Amino acid sequence: MQAATKHLSGAVEPDAVSSTGFVLGRYVPQLFFTCAAILLPFLVNALWLKVLTAVAIYALTAASIALLYRRLGLVSLAQVALMGCGGWVALRFAHAFGLPFEVNLMAGGIFAGLIGMILAYPALRMRGLYLALITLMAAGGFGILINVIQFPNGGGGLTGFEVRAITYMPRPVIAISDAAYFSYCMVVIAFGFLLIDVHERGRAGRGWALIRKSEASAMAAGVNVTLYKVWGFALSGFLAGVAGALLAGNLQLLDARSFPPAESVMIFALTVVGGAWHWYGAVIAALLYRLVPAFLNDLGLDGNAAYIIFGLALIHALITAPKGLAGQLSDGLKRLARRGPNA
Amino acid sequence: MIAIENLTVSFGGVTALNAVTVTLDQPVCGIIGPNGAGKTTFLNVISGFVVPQTGSIRANDTNLLSMKPHERARWGLRRSFQKEQVVNELTVEDNIRVVLDPLNLSGRERRDVLDTALDFVGLRGMRHALAEGLNAFERRMTEIARCIAGRPRVILLDEPGAGFSQGEVEKLRQIISDIHGFNGAMVLLIDHDVDLIQAVCQETIVLDFGSLIAVGETASVLTDPRVRAVYLGMEDA
Ligand SMILES: Nc1ncnc2c1ncn2[C@@H]1O[C@H](COP(=O)(O)OP(=O)(O)O)[C@@H](O)[C@H]1O
Ligand SMILES: [Mg+2]
Repeated sequence: MQAATKHLSGAVEPDAVSSTGFVLGRYVPQLFFTCAAILLPFLVNALWLKVLTAVAIYALTAASIALLYRRLGLVSLAQVALMGCGGWVALRFAHAFGLPFEVNLMAGGIFAGLIGMILAYPALRMRGLYLALITLMAAGGFGILINVIQFPNGGGGLTGFEVRAITYMPRPVIAISDAAYFSYCMVVIAFGFLLIDVHERGRAGRGWALIRKSEASAMAAGVNVTLYKVWGFALSGFLAGVAGALLAGNLQLLDARSFPPAESVMIFALTVVGGAWHWYGAVIAALLYRLVPAFLNDLGLDGNAAYIIFGLALIHALITAPKGLAGQLSDGLKRLARRGPNA
Repeated sequence: MIAIENLTVSFGGVTALNAVTVTLDQPVCGIIGPNGAGKTTFLNVISGFVVPQTGSIRANDTNLLSMKPHERARWGLRRSFQKEQVVNELTVEDNIRVVLDPLNLSGRERRDVLDTALDFVGLRGMRHALAEGLNAFERRMTEIARCIAGRPRVILLDEPGAGFSQGEVEKLRQIISDIHGFNGAMVLLIDHDVDLIQAVCQETIVLDFGSLIAVGETASVLTDPRVRAVYLGMEDA
């Protein structure tokens, strides 16, 4: 536990703001995503841009997982299902009301946030393996449900699904093309990371930090433990839901078969591999999850071979990198920086 | 003032507190007794972590038992733990700010309260440091700052002096003595260091096997033959 809490320091290093006075340090993720939004459409071809759009979207999902893991020590294996919830509502809204994309995006996020709050209930009483199993069961339940009701595709009725109807979800007016949509996703994700940052540095972050230390100390400091846990789950669910809505906008329709519970487990494992204590851990996780299989396909290999790589990466992380690859990277960079002036 | 009546707590077969009735109204009250006497349990009941089988607790005429732990904290009950609970990955300042978050303070009041709390324990210079780098005494001081910041009414300290050097205990003694003058809060202090208790507590209670065996002015309690017997008994064990 001592070791685990120590790792947290990487995530919220206040000295970036206070001691060096380098206020921009706080907005590195936003700068990164903005640069990517501007540059990448010029640098990569249409095929890879589609892959990178998926990477961006899953980076937000991984960030939502990392948030719960890092701040509350909770394992949620339902995040891909929450993406599905967000995607479903976004599609339903899009087909039913024809409102702007942003409204559908928010609706998807808020709905998944509400479902996240329901998942917080078991989290009030259990943690660790038991909670992981409950969230996995919820993901399984979603998998079954969605195979029955399917994702809305412009059909009628409550579910908005018909076998023949294929109406695509309209993309935002300012981001119709694939390239523009990639940049659009990057901007949304930059805001998502900002939302996490604002929470972690503020009142919520302080409350979560005490809860993680011990619930008794949190209560003794006046922290309403129930509220803060529900809050954490709501935020995490919201982000996953937004990611799901972005995914719906990317493909302009969703397939029930792409939301099996196993995907939630996979993305969780990769989040741990990427590193939950640094913002770019989520980016590494998403790159592994989406870019590696695409690379293998490109090389003419079976994309499923990616699972072997994931397995090796997980073993590597468990053995040598408790802070994930991001932790290793940042330690390496720090060591270089320390050596720099002397060399 | 804290008025406790007929307070009983048992864990399975162990009676940790046995029908304790006592009224405390001095600025600093000591709680002493051998290990396992029920001292920590006493604080746990007051702060709401343990629900008593019987009894009532009124503090400044508020019924504490009807409130949840975090509500008691907002009401003005603060405590430190036997094992300190400072969060490594937060700064010193944020470790203290967390108790101010739920209080309805303006931004300006919040800053003032934080500054005076940091000054009070002498940590202003390291307010932006991560708690990870603090030594044991600074950690204890951070926790005490968390207890005295805002407008606490009752502060419970569970063995704050354990493991510190003579000089550090001296500083701690000064700080505990100053709390009442600083914010008017009443302090309940558990400690094994009888010199510390004698120096800062006007009133002291003695627990042994969950029962209250003495209460009164500190000097007279410490010379009470029954209390001496308990302590001699403890040294034998
Ligand atoms: N949560 C608990 N569950 C079971 N027994 C407990 C618990 N807390 C305290 N006790 C028991 O109650 C008695 C009093 O403990 P405690 O209040 O911690 O003593 P002290 O702080 O005076 O050393 C001990 O016998 C202890 O084992
Ligand atoms: Mg104790």
